[in-house]
Amino acid sequence: MTSSGAPSRKALSKIASNRLQKELVEWQMNPPTGFKLNLTDNLQRWVIEVIGAPGTLYANDTYQLQVDFPEHYPMESPQVIFLPPAPLHPHIYSNGHICLDILYDSWSPAMTVSSICISILSMLSSSTEKQGPIDNDRYVKNCKNGRSPKQTRWWFHDDKV
Amino acid sequence: MMNASDNKFSQERIERSRCEELAKSSSFYRKVYSEIEEIGWEPLRRLGGDLTFFSFHILDKKGRAHILEIQLNRDYPNSPPSLSADVPYMFTLEWSINSRLKDVMHQFQKHLDNLQEFWSVLDDIDKSFSVVDAKQPSRASSLRRIHAGNDCIIIVHINFNDPKSLPECRFIGHVPPSTMHMNSLHMLWRRNSKKWSKEKSFPENLECILGIELPKPPGLLQMEDDQQQVECGICYAQFLPTDEELGARSGTRTDYTCENISCNKSFHSLCLTDWLRSITTTRQSFDVLFGNCPYCSDPVAVKINNK
Repeated sequence: MTSSGAPSRKALSKIASNRLQKELVEWQMNPPTGFKLNLTDNLQRWVIEVIGAPGTLYANDTYQLQVDFPEHYPMESPQVIFLPPAPLHPHIYSNGHICLDILYDSWSPAMTVSSICISILSMLSSSTEKQGPIDNDRYVKNCKNGRSPKQTRWWFHDDKV
Repeated sequence: MMNASDNKFSQERIERSRCEELAKSSSFYRKVYSEIEEIGWEPLRRLGGDLTFFSFHILDKKGRAHILEIQLNRDYPNSPPSLSADVPYMFTLEWSINSRLKDVMHQFQKHLDNLQEFWSVLDDIDKSFSVVDAKQPSRASSLRRIHAGNDCIIIVHINFNDPKSLPECRFIGHVPPSTMHMNSLHMLWRRNSKKWSKEKSFPENLECILGIELPKPPGLLQMEDDQQQVECGICYAQFLPTDEELGARSGTRTDYTCENISCNKSFHSLCLTDWLRSITTTRQSFDVLFGNCPYCSDPVAVKINNK
């Protein structure tokens, strides 16, 4: 955990911006249930509203996801965090960082923003308690100065929630 | 009738010859194993339990996949391995007692290099015309049957020693309207075959000599309609963008398809290489990257193109 600072804000490559435009069109024609994209003219940062699924602990709660795309998307995963206030969940830290393998080691260019959203909603839905991670305070203290969750070396040890 | 000591003696003999046999075969296994190791395990596709039969997956310069099957005799390396592959003719293996399997691979690769032009001509025919033969004709075949319209078929035979030269050509039609069409094509062929030029591509030559446009492959129209099929699974575009960094590859189509039939995703080999290079599980052998399809996770092998 040596490097720090915000994700590099290099502009999207041509390939990345072509692909994102297509994802955006696909999203608009076929948006995932429970999500609303707040469009800006910045293709490189998407802010998405999440509505907790009915019948789960998060029913009717709304949260905001912020998705930042790297220059060489989709060779690299996007950075996905919850904007404050983040939901209370055993895998979501109070600074908005999400412990979910597909956002880091298990990313593949076969995934999309839409498929990430569905994974996050399913992670919320399967939770049995509204409680933050056990190591929340220690982790958040270590992440000062807006460090990206992509710089954390994550342990994915629990696939129940 | 054998007495006890005779019996014991013959048992010992059997035992000794079994031990010798085992020692021989274990040194055979060690040798074959270490020679496969020199080539690498990634290109290995099949392996017989007794290590006398195996096959390697090899990509040629244009990224066409080939399988080389190798059969070893028990007295290997005293006798050379026997080889088979989907090539129009096999090369003569240069073999000495000191030769190793990697020498076979090198010689095969050289043989593939020599056949590049031959396959380019055939690929060009398959791409440009409606060809009667099976969807993926064997790489060993030097024949193509081309639909010429009106139920007439042209059979061409490409010379693998000189693939750009005037091919042998026969015309076939069965019933009256097609026989007339056939006769006129045949006449044009005989009259104009002097016009054949090695500078032009095969399809250009053929259409120029016959003075007609031949039917296009049925897949082509379908593929143009069905854009989903030819979009790259990584960048989502059919053509790479025009960009200085991409150089000669600017604007090129998808050129790699996952071999898993139920996946069949297309990619630009550039995109797939970029992806494979960005993850740590990818392995490289010479200029080929071995990894997994991002969609179905089946093994993929992509040649790095530095152009």
